[in-house]
Amino acid sequence: MASPERDPVSGYRTTGHEWDGIKELTTPIPHWWVSVFLATIAVAVIYLYLMPSFAGTTGFLPGALKWTSKGQLAEDQAAAATAQGPWRSAIMAVPLEQVEADPDLRRFAVAGGKALFNQNCAPCHGVGAGGQQGQFPSLVDDDWLWGGKIDDIRQTITHGIRNDDSDSRSSVMPTFGDNLSKGEIEQVADYVVSLSDPAADATRAAMPGAAVFRANCAACHGPSGEGSREFGAPRLNDAIWLYGRGRDAVIRQVTQPRMGMMPSFAARFDEATIRMLATYVHSLGGGER
Amino acid sequence: MSAAAPARGRAARRRPVPLPVKGRYRRIKTLVGLGLIGLFFAVPWLRFDRGLDQPGQAVMFDVPGRRLLVFGLEFWPQDLPLVLGLMILGALGLFLATAISGRLWCGFTCPQTVWTDLFFAMDRLADRIAGKGRGGAKVIRQVFWTGLSLLTGIGFAAYFTDVTALPGALLSGRASAGTVFAILLLTATTWLLAGFARERVCLHMCPWPRFQAALLDADSLVVTYQAWRGEPRGKKRLALKPELAPDSSPAPGAATRGDCVDCERCFAVCPTGVDIREGLQMGCIGCGLCIDACDDVMAKLERPAGLIRFDSEANQASPALVRPKARVIRPKTIFFAAGCLVVVGLLGFGLSTIQRVTIDLTPQRNPPFVALSDGSIRNDYQIRLSHRLPALAAVAVSVEGLPGAKLRIGDRDDARFTVNQDRSADDRLMITVPRGTPVEGRREITVQFSDASTGRVLRRIDSYFWGPE
Repeated sequence: MASPERDPVSGYRTTGHEWDGIKELTTPIPHWWVSVFLATIAVAVIYLYLMPSFAGTTGFLPGALKWTSKGQLAEDQAAAATAQGPWRSAIMAVPLEQVEADPDLRRFAVAGGKALFNQNCAPCHGVGAGGQQGQFPSLVDDDWLWGGKIDDIRQTITHGIRNDDSDSRSSVMPTFGDNLSKGEIEQVADYVVSLSDPAADATRAAMPGAAVFRANCAACHGPSGEGSREFGAPRLNDAIWLYGRGRDAVIRQVTQPRMGMMPSFAARFDEATIRMLATYVHSLGGGER
Repeated sequence: MSAAAPARGRAARRRPVPLPVKGRYRRIKTLVGLGLIGLFFAVPWLRFDRGLDQPGQAVMFDVPGRRLLVFGLEFWPQDLPLVLGLMILGALGLFLATAISGRLWCGFTCPQTVWTDLFFAMDRLADRIAGKGRGGAKVIRQVFWTGLSLLTGIGFAAYFTDVTALPGALLSGRASAGTVFAILLLTATTWLLAGFARERVCLHMCPWPRFQAALLDADSLVVTYQAWRGEPRGKKRLALKPELAPDSSPAPGAATRGDCVDCERCFAVCPTGVDIREGLQMGCIGCGLCIDACDDVMAKLERPAGLIRFDSEANQASPALVRPKARVIRPKTIFFAAGCLVVVGLLGFGLSTIQRVTIDLTPQRNPPFVALSDGSIRNDYQIRLSHRLPALAAVAVSVEGLPGAKLRIGDRDDARFTVNQDRSADDRLMITVPRGTPVEGRREITVQFSDASTGRVLRRIDSYFWGPE
């Protein structure tokens, strides 16, 4: 073992190892490189101390910064809520009808309303708000059971239909299977089907179902079947049939009526959120002024 | 590579600043360098009127708007293929220049070279002011370095923000954090690369010298020491060797020399510190300053210039005092030139066919159609538009292939929509056909979008209309 020395030919130091007169040159790693390496280790140690790094028996041990991904999410949500704050107060600052008139407000309300709709309304009414035949009404057409003005829509969303909310929209169609004979129901069904057929305009009054209709149905559905939004009584003289088109479907509905219900959202959303939803639904094509 | 590479181990010493030199290549280098630096600082000041609410700067990277403005053109991120074409053109141009005459780019136009040259000049100026080797020179050097770096940083930031407002914003402290960061970053990198690292960037960091040898051939003009003429080197008092001075008759047996008197001027003026007499090497950036230095010496010795000159390897086989013509047109240069032309053609095609209006028409498939209470059938479509035309306020929509169709957009009954301030639009198109129209199943339609004020057709989009089956 020779002591380290400087190699005269190359100018490098040797390691001090020697085998049969052959010495090994050493090219040490530069100091700066070693320093950086040690610094990265130091950073790792600091990181372990600051951030949650170790598992405990009941969960992870929080780091010195008390950072959690849940806390991060809450912070992000709070930041998003803060960013939306001015918009939400702007929506609340004007009457609901004017939210649509302001292009910027409208864009914000429709974009937010769409996200809210997909989370809360789409399960029944569909992602495209097309409803479901025989179950849930379409919100994109021009037919509204309880009103298609934006304020009607807001009211429906807030308190719902036929639920426990004391302000809920409510009405009941009697079970005519108990009160009318089978023949009368068939007659009135023929009459109801004819309401939306322009070809029957002349002969309709003479139909046997006309009297039955006048006595039992016209109070809610109107003398010519134009419906009443006050009671959520559907229009019968149009082409839209939620519970089915044609004589059989009408007989079924008169005999054993089906009526939709919708939950109240008053407890779940604040007023600004409901306004955004209402603006979105109103923008889908059927909104009335 | 040089066998006596001085940089080894920790003991490597810093070369002194290269000596100044006068001559043809020095003049070219100065003019090109000043021109490029001037261009770098001047371009942001060019103005171009794009109308109200639009930046008036001719060339500008609008980062918040995600676009690049170049006079009347506007580029969006999706135009990236054009940048790719530009890069391919740059690479092919570099290959072509290298095949013809070596590292012209490195020697004269590379920003690293230009700025390094400037900083060398500043160092020499600092030495002149304070006296070489004095402590004061170091201070003045640092003042120059930092000042120039800061100027470079501000010049760079001027490409990203309105340059006319930049000085005021900086002085009053109203500049955005991004601007300040860009300036500080470029100041730091300029100080580091042009002030501190200099030619070491070319020698150790830049990949280009590593593969330039693959592009050179025997016909490329590169800085060449005419060894046949210069060797053996010797003191001036020795007689010239007989090949160079046929008339003289030196004493038999007396030592003779070639044209090189070993004055080392070529080495002293080299910005990268190579000794060109050792032959073409990776460190040589082909700037030709050693040619100027050597020609100067040859003139003093009353010998013909060109001991070091731009010359080809092929010419070394038949030595001549006056350089024979080099073969510029040869398969390699033709190939690269043709490549450049092809890419220029493709770029021109890409530029001329760039889409200035983008319109998407998406049929709403949930529900596929809407039955209305009067028996008519409605289809809904989402319209998304973005444009980069000088002016487009409103767009009119019409439909073909659907007789009796009524169009609505949003809650408006006229078939037109306005374009937002940010030159985009997002609206709902509703097409309704009256009861009795035969629209069972799918029906092909064409929707036409045109500028509402001029009537110019912007786009025709094929789509479809669904009815109950």
